[in-house]
Amino acid sequence: MFGTLFQKECKQILRSMVYYLYVVIFVMFLSSQLGEVVTADLERPEPGQESYGSVSSHEESAVMEKVLAGLVLETYRNSYATYPMGFYRGVTLNETELAEVTSIIEYCTGKNWEEILKSMEEHFSQSDQSAIEGAMQAQITYSVAPKDGLSYEEFCEKMEKICKMIGAGSSYTQKHLDAGVGVPMTYEQAVDEFEALCEKDRITGAIARLFCDYAGIILAILPVFLGVTRCLRDKRAKVSQVVFSHEASAVQIVGSRYLANVCMAFLPVVITIFVMQMPYQYHAKTMGIGPDVFAFLKYSVIWLLPEIMIVLAVSFFITELTENVISIFVQVFWAIGSLFSGGSLHGGFGLHLVARWNMLGGTNEFWNQRQELLLNRGYYFIGAILFLGLTFIFYEKKRREGETVYGKIFKHRR
Amino acid sequence: MERYLSIGGSFLRRQYAPHLLVTLLFCGMSGFFVSFRNLDAFQAAKVMEMYVAFVGILLMTPLFLPEQNQEIWLLEKSKAMPLWKQYLIRLLIAAMFLIIVVTVFCQMMKQGNSQFDGKELWCGSLCEIFFLGSIGFFVSGITNQIVLGYMVSVVYYFANIGASKYLGEFALFQMMRGDYDFLVPMILTAFFLVTSGIVLRERTWKKR
Repeated sequence: MFGTLFQKECKQILRSMVYYLYVVIFVMFLSSQLGEVVTADLERPEPGQESYGSVSSHEESAVMEKVLAGLVLETYRNSYATYPMGFYRGVTLNETELAEVTSIIEYCTGKNWEEILKSMEEHFSQSDQSAIEGAMQAQITYSVAPKDGLSYEEFCEKMEKICKMIGAGSSYTQKHLDAGVGVPMTYEQAVDEFEALCEKDRITGAIARLFCDYAGIILAILPVFLGVTRCLRDKRAKVSQVVFSHEASAVQIVGSRYLANVCMAFLPVVITIFVMQMPYQYHAKTMGIGPDVFAFLKYSVIWLLPEIMIVLAVSFFITELTENVISIFVQVFWAIGSLFSGGSLHGGFGLHLVARWNMLGGTNEFWNQRQELLLNRGYYFIGAILFLGLTFIFYEKKRREGETVYGKIFKHRR
Repeated sequence: MERYLSIGGSFLRRQYAPHLLVTLLFCGMSGFFVSFRNLDAFQAAKVMEMYVAFVGILLMTPLFLPEQNQEIWLLEKSKAMPLWKQYLIRLLIAAMFLIIVVTVFCQMMKQGNSQFDGKELWCGSLCEIFFLGSIGFFVSGITNQIVLGYMVSVVYYFANIGASKYLGEFALFQMMRGDYDFLVPMILTAFFLVTSGIVLRERTWKKR
């Protein structure tokens, strides 16, 4: 019974216009982000290179330098990034507040504001700001030295004052200071990183991570349209009562629908990543490295499948509950919130729906954070099963006439 | 006039109310996501283009919601009043709420000591939000699938984050760059989408 229902569902999805739009949008989005084969970052670093990228540091002096640099840039633009509820919120200060922040910067650096601005402009004028690489490099290498004798404790106190003016969730909270800062990588660190890329990732692993990063963004939203369409199809076709009277149980009916949607939503993901990683397999071989040919499957199953599962499970649950499109708003809001609340573009997975690793490499750092990613994905996998279980219960309840009026939760609504 | 009011009122009560509630919730929660204090013209445009723009999708896409039920659609067709008039009434209601939302947000930013040209921002925002909403209106109208309307308009919004340079005059977020040349082509396209949405819907689904 389950197999037959599953096959029928898959065929129905294949006849749906929403599904083809899903595939087209997914492939277009991925091609626009990963269309070009990037091999420049897969070369062994040479001594004397201008830059080797950045690495995380918790040294107090490095933290003070980079945090001050960030503060100078934000004060110069008078736009401070904050995450009060986990979502991005830009804050602009008035003249008095701005003057107070400037005086704190002057106190911490022992220099006046004009001097600081002049050295900042000099630093950024040295690199080509019109190119992304130039702007990124200038950002990584920019730092503002604190004055001699400024203790870390005193620095933290000053940052606390700034937090009070800007509001909750700024980059100057103790939590952010403790999280460390990005500093330029040395040649030795870059060689270590390259060797880890060859040994642990075998090239294709790094590509699969980058793919999952981009695919994760779009997959936080797109599957919801499949879920909502499926759940509303019975109502639109006026066959809800016929399906309710079917001999199959709610687990079989909803389970087959859910599984078919998960499989059909995951299918284009696997095919796209398989095609996109082919040139990198070849590139790894030319470098004398045996590529991990199943990396694309391992990463997409661990990284993207739980995301598709939770998005579909939540959309199934909300749509069965409300018989409305409200789940789309919930999901778009959740996805945008998750996307903008992360702060870091690589790592810091926490419980974010969209897990980010927007870099080719960073192997050692990723392997250090791998446990956190597995916990995150495990959490969503269990969450998906729970929501699906709730959907079974609610669907069964709707089938038993009398407990709800024709499946509507608003009993007395006419 | 009484009939028009009755149709509008019935739509508001029976189909549109949950969508208005979501819009209200969305606007009420804005304080958590955007700041209204001391903004300059670009920052004020960012609030309107990145946040308030969603109101267009929320308010204009579900305007064909009653006809998702074939029986209601048949019943409406059997009435003396042509369907396009009913769609226009709904569109006017949505436009009225859009104007209220845009005006309230502009006013809130003014109250927060923000410096911007109010008239320019009001017109630009309304035009952009109406355009984004008209995409959802058009798609849901010709396909008779509300979900598709939401899908295309949400994807269009996201496409503008990375690929606005390919969309020319129809790109969103132009006010954030200080560019207001999009106003005329965008508003004309929005009206074209709305009109053709209604006309094509009527022709495509006439025999059903």
